[in-house]
Amino acid sequence: MTEHILSLIVAAPFVAALILLFLPPKQLGLIRFTAAIGAFVSLVLSLYVAFLYNSQAGGLQLAEVYPLVPSLGIELRLAVDGWGVSLLILTGVIIFAGVLASTSLADRAKEFFVLLLVLVAGVFGVFVSQDLFVFFLFYEIAVLPMYLLIGIWGSSHKVTEAGPLRFVWKWFDIGGREYAAMKLTLMLLVGSAFILVGLLALYFSAGAGTFDMAVLAKAHYPRSLQLWAFVLFWLGFGSLAGVFPFHTWSPDGHASAPTAVSMLHAGVLMKLGAFGVMRIGMMMLPDGARFWAPVVGAVAVVNVVYGALSALSQKDLKYIIAYSSVSHMGVVMLGAATLTQSGWNGAIYQMFAHGIMTGLFFALVGHIYERAHSREVAKMGGFATVMPGVAAFFTLAGLSSLGLPGTAGFVAEFLVFAGAWQSPQAWWSLFGVLGAFVTAVYVLRVSRAVFFGEGPSPHFHDLRDARRVEWAPLWILGGTLLLCGIWPRLLLDFIDPATSSYLRLVVAVAGGQP
Amino acid sequence: MLASPVSLALTALLAPGAVALLLAVATPLRNRKSAIVLSVLAALSSLVAAILLVKGQLTPTPPQLLTVPWLLQGGVPFAEIGLRIDGISASMLLVVTFVASCVQIFSVGYMHDESPPAQGRYFTYHSLFLTAMNILVLAPNLLQLFLGWELVGVTSYLLIGYYYRKPSAAKAAVKAFWVTKFADMGLLIGLLVLRSKTGSFDWDATITPQAANLVTLLLFVAVMGKSAQFPLHIWLPDAMEGPTPVSALLHAATMVAAGVFLIVRGWPLFELAHSTRAFMLGLGSVTALLAATMALFQNDIKKVLAYSTCSQLGYMIAALGAGSLLGGFFHLTTHAFFKALLFLGAGSVIHAVHSNDLRDMGGLARKMPVTTLTFVIGALSLAGLPGLAGFFSKDLILEAVGEHGFSLWLVLLLVSAFLTAFYMGRLLLRVFFAPATEKSSHAHESGGFLLLPLGLLAVPALATGYFGGMFGQLYGTAYHFHLGNIGILAAGLGVLGLLLSYVLYRHRAEHPALLAPLGRLIEHGPMDRLYEGGFHRVALPFAALVGWIDRYLVDGVMNLTGLAFIVSGQKIRRIQTGIATDYVLATVGGVLALLLYGVMR
Repeated sequence: MTEHILSLIVAAPFVAALILLFLPPKQLGLIRFTAAIGAFVSLVLSLYVAFLYNSQAGGLQLAEVYPLVPSLGIELRLAVDGWGVSLLILTGVIIFAGVLASTSLADRAKEFFVLLLVLVAGVFGVFVSQDLFVFFLFYEIAVLPMYLLIGIWGSSHKVTEAGPLRFVWKWFDIGGREYAAMKLTLMLLVGSAFILVGLLALYFSAGAGTFDMAVLAKAHYPRSLQLWAFVLFWLGFGSLAGVFPFHTWSPDGHASAPTAVSMLHAGVLMKLGAFGVMRIGMMMLPDGARFWAPVVGAVAVVNVVYGALSALSQKDLKYIIAYSSVSHMGVVMLGAATLTQSGWNGAIYQMFAHGIMTGLFFALVGHIYERAHSREVAKMGGFATVMPGVAAFFTLAGLSSLGLPGTAGFVAEFLVFAGAWQSPQAWWSLFGVLGAFVTAVYVLRVSRAVFFGEGPSPHFHDLRDARRVEWAPLWILGGTLLLCGIWPRLLLDFIDPATSSYLRLVVAVAGGQP
Repeated sequence: MLASPVSLALTALLAPGAVALLLAVATPLRNRKSAIVLSVLAALSSLVAAILLVKGQLTPTPPQLLTVPWLLQGGVPFAEIGLRIDGISASMLLVVTFVASCVQIFSVGYMHDESPPAQGRYFTYHSLFLTAMNILVLAPNLLQLFLGWELVGVTSYLLIGYYYRKPSAAKAAVKAFWVTKFADMGLLIGLLVLRSKTGSFDWDATITPQAANLVTLLLFVAVMGKSAQFPLHIWLPDAMEGPTPVSALLHAATMVAAGVFLIVRGWPLFELAHSTRAFMLGLGSVTALLAATMALFQNDIKKVLAYSTCSQLGYMIAALGAGSLLGGFFHLTTHAFFKALLFLGAGSVIHAVHSNDLRDMGGLARKMPVTTLTFVIGALSLAGLPGLAGFFSKDLILEAVGEHGFSLWLVLLLVSAFLTAFYMGRLLLRVFFAPATEKSSHAHESGGFLLLPLGLLAVPALATGYFGGMFGQLYGTAYHFHLGNIGILAAGLGVLGLLLSYVLYRHRAEHPALLAPLGRLIEHGPMDRLYEGGFHRVALPFAALVGWIDRYLVDGVMNLTGLAFIVSGQKIRRIQTGIATDYVLATVGGVLALLLYGVMR
């Protein structure tokens, strides 16, 4: 089993999805149980990979190679590095928590969980693929089910907008789930088209007749190609990472998506984008990366501050959380753009931290929405009286969000800001710190508006705290946030060696030593 | 001594930490009396450990360091956490754990009427606070100090918002967090600068004076927030919305003094930073005076004490600015004792009268003799009556500021000393010696849980002054008391202030006509209005503008792009008419065009 662990981890959700297909659709309990088992096995396998991986030795490990299309040099080439290990764990935690958070889903539950698990298999595939073509294949497998998941199980939320431009809302059906699903899919597919072009450019320019990423990374590409191909990868993958101004699918999409889908999409899928920018864009095209780094970083800074300010202006609970993702993914991209050891460590750490944190947020918001039947913050208040547990976990997620020490969010942000300070553009850190402050403003503001104050108005008669299995995702995600905040080396011991070896590909002298 | 300093420090750190974790996780434990028992026991074990630690530090020993790599950078430690045990951390630990133990015991009585789950929550927060404070105090470098710094900020937020159903408490909690978090940006950036200049987060690394000025100035911004210095003091009076024992522990004795402690710890940096210290001296003196003035016009007993805390913190900052490490730290210590005593005394009074308002009190001296006696001790110590703890530490500060001759700052601090005695005199008169009111006439002395801590705190509030030599030894500086001109002047001003308040407020609560206009100005809270206006009129509209831009401009372009494809698709669709002749015509036209192209070439 050990030597096939990576194929196993990719196959596990597929197999679970396959089993689900043969279950009778009426047997809700059985379906949920099977999905939960499939997700649990995925989590256990991801932890087992971390256990098997020798973080002292570093590098790619647990490799498996199977030929797929020999004539084109396409292989199923699986191996994992320290980054991959961390992100596999993230995916495992989120899918398990996500399935547990969807226990109340009853409408077409079978199809829902099938799509969810297929999506997760794709995500696992991306993190362990060392063949560029297969990488892209898994990437698409991960992105596409989202259309159905939002379009079918999503929620429409008609905000009554005032002002002269309210016709825009009606016209495009903003807030509708079909609109959100279509917008998300189209924007991400345009991004995929960019990626595909860049990918082919690499393949043909290297002329090695292989998609092996290790080979492609060693090839020397002409500077001119590097410059334009990097932009393709940056914008292509970046659209999934919510890079400004291609982030607008995210608020609408995450607000409309059902709970588990929001958790998975904001928690894991957006990371695929950032991971792609770093793993493909920057590492394959070092000249391009160095040339464009100041732009990537500047745009990332816009993401951080702009996303936070947008979140501050929102009136809908889910939109606030969605915009916070735009802001926090900016921190990831900022770390990547620093091209320093700390910055990259921080970028990967922030992928993990934000994934868990936003997963927790969406699980909580899902619970609140389900009981309150409303997402309008202005109508809420005093919820802590009836849902103290939810309030406590919301506070925890919020504190991680604003980068409080003791939570994973602090470690990530601190590393990124330190990396930015070591980069030529030290001023980036100032805006990063400012973004964290604005986060404190909107997080505490919304937490006060929802949970504090006189008990909830009688309008909300259905409110109650989490119960039984509903606690599980909250404890898992909240516990992970704290654990990785108190002892960051749980992850850094994996991340740091990988960063060292990869950064060497991009900057001649290993950067960030001061 | 069997226990090593490291294991003692770990006990002090981990006992409350383990209890906080246990109570946070195990709801059944939290919802019963077990929460109280565990929390108090943890505080007491920390206290015992701290006493033993200080005892060990009385004989000169080199500082003990224990660190582990916490963050990595390219295989080498980027940041470390651990413990540093020396005279400064040991004595601060003693202050913190002693006051915390007193406050927790007091809370057992004070919070008795709350529901068991609410009490459990309260004591969980207390254990968390003590853990965070000990992380801060025992920090071996500025990074860990920052970790503890932020964590105490959160527990402060949680404890101010303890009565979260009350909108004013919720607002105050958020405000406190925002203001301090705003200031903390300076500390975070300061850490980054320090790291890039010295390659570590240590406060004793080699650094140029210029860099030291920059770093310390950034650190000092955070100090202004945490230690409520003008103009970032505005959160502290509002923080009085929290339960009174919380005000005693966090917002008087320990947490707000963390800023002063930061400077004491970072002294190797601050010593080099002459510009920063000049700024500290000025700002500390101004804060001392302004806050003392504001304290005079409060009718809420806790707010009088809150502004007084701002004012006294100003003294400490000024002392450090003037270069007197011992002055700042000594006053921190004495202030922790007498101010915690005053707040707990106020808690005892509030508990009896069921009101915070001075105008509801009066005549309590006969009904609450123990509370009165201890409160008077605290008040006189604060007022700087010769012989009490506050006198010695304040004298040290004034001597240090006056060392370089007569200056404006010395005048401000002397006036503040007068005002301190003046407003405390008013407080004493109104609460204890004025005629009883309807509310206060039913008051009776508090129970044992409330009185025991008052007694325990009254002792150091009286006597700490005589242990200056011991404190000097712990901080590594010599301390000799000598009564100079400034000391006599300050004592005289203190007595004058008390007398004047007796004359003015003996028979009436209202302020004399001369002071009334100033009172009205302060009542309006000009600073508060400035900040709130800035938030509601500038920050929020700006955020709304960004939100609008995102929805209509940035997303508008996306939507228009989509629309353009749909519209052009609909237009082009017309070409597909379904009439065969059209298609033949198009084919012929195409062939002709190609032929023409070929011929032309």
